[in-house]
Amino acid sequence: MRLVSLLIVASWLGTTLGIQESDAGIIDWHKLLVGVPLVDSTSAAPIFHRVGGKNTKSVILTATKQNVLAALNPVDGSVAWRHVFEPEDTVVTFEKQDTTVASLSGPGGATLRSFDILSGLLLLEKRLHPPETSLPLEPGHTGSSIVFTADSDIIALTNGHMVQFITKSGNIRWTWTLEDQSSLVIYTHVIATSTAIYAVGLAKSYSSYILHVAALSPESGQLLSTAHVASSVTNPSTDLALLTSNTVSRLAWLEQGALKSVALSASLKEKPTTIKGATYRRLLDVGLSKHGYMVAIMSDGAGRVFRLEEDGSALNNIWEFEGSAYNSRHSESLYAGGFDKIGYPYIGRLYWSHAFKFASAELLAPHLASGKGLVTGFSFPFDTYNHGVITHITMDAANPSPFTVLGRFFLTTTTGTVQLWQQDKLQWTREESLASVRVAEFVELPEHIVTSSHDRDEQFSERVRRHISDAQNFPRYLLNFVRRFATGSYASASSSVAAKDGSLSRDAFGFRQIILVATDFGKLFALDSSNGNVLWSRILGLGWAAEVGGKHLPVKIFVTRTVSDGESPQAVLVTQRRANNGLLDTTLFHFDALTGLDARSNAEKSKVLEGTDIPEAMVDAFMLHKDDTRVIIVLDELLQAHLYPDTDESKKFLLENGSSLHFPLQMNVPDGRQVVGHHLAEVPSLSGYLLARPTWTLSLAHGETIQSLVPAARGPVASIGKVLGNRTTLYKYLNPRTFVVLTDAVASELPGCGLYVVDAAKGTIIYQVSLPANVGKCDIRATLTENWLIYHYYDEDFSGVGQAKGYRMVTVELYEGSRADDKTQSSELCAYSKDNSAIRVFEQSYVFPHGISAIGTTTTKFGISSKDAIVATTNNKVQSFSRRLLNPRRPSQKPSSEEAEEQLVQYDPVLPDDPRRVLSHTYEVAKIRRIITSPALLESTCLVFVYGLDMFLSRVAPSKTFDVLDENFNKAQLVFTVLGLAAAIGITKPIVRNKKLREKWYQ
Amino acid sequence: MLSKILDFASLESSSKHRQLPSPPGFSKSLATSKGPAKSSTTSTAAYDKLKERRAWDMAIAPAKSLPMQAFMLYMSGGGVQIFSMGIVAMLLWTPFKNIAGINEAFVQFAPSKAQPKSLTTLPLQKIVYVLCNMLTLAVGLWKCRSMGLLPTGTGDWLAFETRGLAPELSLF
Repeated sequence: MRLVSLLIVASWLGTTLGIQESDAGIIDWHKLLVGVPLVDSTSAAPIFHRVGGKNTKSVILTATKQNVLAALNPVDGSVAWRHVFEPEDTVVTFEKQDTTVASLSGPGGATLRSFDILSGLLLLEKRLHPPETSLPLEPGHTGSSIVFTADSDIIALTNGHMVQFITKSGNIRWTWTLEDQSSLVIYTHVIATSTAIYAVGLAKSYSSYILHVAALSPESGQLLSTAHVASSVTNPSTDLALLTSNTVSRLAWLEQGALKSVALSASLKEKPTTIKGATYRRLLDVGLSKHGYMVAIMSDGAGRVFRLEEDGSALNNIWEFEGSAYNSRHSESLYAGGFDKIGYPYIGRLYWSHAFKFASAELLAPHLASGKGLVTGFSFPFDTYNHGVITHITMDAANPSPFTVLGRFFLTTTTGTVQLWQQDKLQWTREESLASVRVAEFVELPEHIVTSSHDRDEQFSERVRRHISDAQNFPRYLLNFVRRFATGSYASASSSVAAKDGSLSRDAFGFRQIILVATDFGKLFALDSSNGNVLWSRILGLGWAAEVGGKHLPVKIFVTRTVSDGESPQAVLVTQRRANNGLLDTTLFHFDALTGLDARSNAEKSKVLEGTDIPEAMVDAFMLHKDDTRVIIVLDELLQAHLYPDTDESKKFLLENGSSLHFPLQMNVPDGRQVVGHHLAEVPSLSGYLLARPTWTLSLAHGETIQSLVPAARGPVASIGKVLGNRTTLYKYLNPRTFVVLTDAVASELPGCGLYVVDAAKGTIIYQVSLPANVGKCDIRATLTENWLIYHYYDEDFSGVGQAKGYRMVTVELYEGSRADDKTQSSELCAYSKDNSAIRVFEQSYVFPHGISAIGTTTTKFGISSKDAIVATTNNKVQSFSRRLLNPRRPSQKPSSEEAEEQLVQYDPVLPDDPRRVLSHTYEVAKIRRIITSPALLESTCLVFVYGLDMFLSRVAPSKTFDVLDENFNKAQLVFTVLGLAAAIGITKPIVRNKKLREKWYQ
Repeated sequence: MLSKILDFASLESSSKHRQLPSPPGFSKSLATSKGPAKSSTTSTAAYDKLKERRAWDMAIAPAKSLPMQAFMLYMSGGGVQIFSMGIVAMLLWTPFKNIAGINEAFVQFAPSKAQPKSLTTLPLQKIVYVLCNMLTLAVGLWKCRSMGLLPTGTGDWLAFETRGLAPELSLF
């Protein structure tokens, strides 16, 4: 025991802590993501922007569902920059001009920020109104708008009724607020001309809205005039457009299918005019409204381009896209506007041809062909079975010669993929749905198969022949062996494990695994853990809901067959399907983890991954894994247990084990959410299903509700006890049924949060603690592994000197009995035994340097290496904390010799924020939601995968790589020493023999 | 080559001093003649007595060397090092070696009438000898204990403890 601990100390002292600079990017990878672009509102959707000058440079700007404002580089699809907004500060709109992009975020657009468009440097940040005074406007971008003046000053409309003029330097020159707020006018758009600034709003009347315009003076912000426009708009988000061309502006809207418009002037005296001849369904702002263009969709679906004439007198239909009316051969068209280098506007149209299975694009250049307009088109092979349906396009164009127009289209799809196509060539693809991963799981890869299999029943002669033919490879093998032995080119623990030949097999140490991730956008990916590349991806088929549309929400993923079972690994993804007609049911996708192919025996080959339906909404799903049999149990809302695979064997297997199976479920009761323990009934109900029966309820205080349940991280336990310095043992409390319950009692009489460690079979509370809430909400992160619980919270209570608010990390260890050497054999104890509550608790609290968004612990193959805590901090880092520092038995005085023998260091209230332990080193790993770990084949090493907005994977060796030779181990020296000794023996042996012989003669 | 073996006998035989008479008072007969029977038995008894005393010395010899060994243990310190381990190994090994060779060790002290290699000769001395060796062993073990090398705590047997499966399972 002591020798081992001495060795461990030596290894601690002997090596450095952090990762080496040379390891960065080799043992880890980082995927910088921005999230799926927002496409519902034009003001936040992707758009090209070109920054002028001699060498023009363009970026694609977008706001995303992950609350990020990002700029992508159209050349290679890399992220030029991004700004991650805080969760409560939702980005609602952005606007760009020249080298600046400005954004409004927060409720009602409370905060204005402006950024340099190429570098993303924050130029100014200003609060325009207090967020708590915001009006509840739906959707969120209503009532917020930005325009730039010609001098690059910003005019911002926020909260639906406040217009502010902010200069480049960030000073507010004037503020105008609608005085009569009872008039129920909500301004939605603002435009700036040299003579006046117009705020266009809507006033609610009976079943529709009346347009309302206010004209303000650009210098002082004084209200010049205000007027209601005689109008009736039913759906302002699709029926309204505001066009500007040079100095003139015109407001266009649809009124019962008729296109009406009115010119805007400072006096607001103009009368509306109607464009006769056609009925329209909606008006599209394609991003060219400041150049006087818009697209109107007619009632038959055909798209017409309208242009505001330069004198502002009229709105003219200049083009109608041929064949754009609805028909069954192609999908509805998408329109987008863009510019070329010189700044001429173009309008693009894109549709999917059902007949030919490709996407077709048309580009209208209104200024070409001497002003009559020129249309060019092309088709490209968009892979709809892998990327879904295109939901949004944006484009820019080039016009290298008078009759050639080249277009670049940036597509956003339903599965969260973004792509850039230059004419019919795919430039790059980004899988942005990886920023919204729901569930993820590691799967081990099979070994590389070197030998080809041979016939089982071959004759002896055949066998001899085969051996002889195989023997011709022997010299090469021998040469290889000698070279490998001499030069030391063994697999190293700190080298890249990415396959060079693209084969799917594991490396020597098992660092290369598959990470299965399922996203909110109905797509399943397999990532290569060696470099983060997508190995395969499948769209989750909607099944019957394909007719009405719907969405899969991944709930859990189970590995149902692993490499150690002998065949290729398989997994099952359980999703909740929410169809657009409101029906909720459950789907299980059973697939091969190496290929992504459907693994069901009766599977038909289809382009998307189809699943097995359970026609009930699910409550939870579990996997029963015992003696190499794995059965998935899905509990529906009636608590019926549906099995997968649904065979007689699995039913029998469950009946055999059913009485010993326990699980907690979250239940909604009138008081709030409660946790109720269940077990499976022993006999099937009339309908043939096993039913889950409630067995216990966690009794919480009034007003205390469940926030979340955290399962214990289960893995092999190498040692059932902790040996102290005096060689007595603290037996670990290893109850295999424990889990953590986090509760929220912010609204009750005693506000606070709770944390309970509960036994799943009996509901015994093993450990409980009340914690303070963090500014009115419970924000506790906890993880439980073996007998070790760590949790993190924000303590805002402080009373007097010597106390401070701040983050706390508490580490708790549970041991059997009441003193050392007491044992209750907790790991095999019945849940109903009284010994189960005989527990000794050690706990210590530390001041933690950061807020955290996720916490986990490392896991290793046999559980021998120590476990480190891995945390994702709110300052975008992934950091590991040594188990040694988080030992709750750290003495408060100088360690005695016995304590020193246990490697205990003196208690220090502050956990050191060691930058060498930052796994993510220079990477910014933003908004991490979960940390999952997987053991490698090496006992010392563990793979850590974190996901959230970004994804990051690294390897950690909490007890150092004691099972691999060091990188700088001098193999040559060893070989030479051995060879030298052998030579010395060879030389001296005859000499010694002669000498001995002579001695015998002359004795 | 010159022979290196010197034969002094040949020298002696050819010596002229061989013929010289014996010095005065030197009696050839006294030196060779056997003494009277009585004096012979008394000298045997005295010799046996001497041997017995020597046997007692031999029996308590391990105990005598203990202070020295204790001093060496003290000097070697409590750490697990090559020196302390060597001394401890010696302390643990010698008693067993001594006890195994107890009969050979006392052969030379066996009374003339007794079987020299029998276990039953010199029984008291042998018992004391064993006890003294046990003392040495005890000192060795005490040193092992103080160095933490004796598996006396539960921690030393932890690795052999096993646990079964719990009767209830949690699926969560």
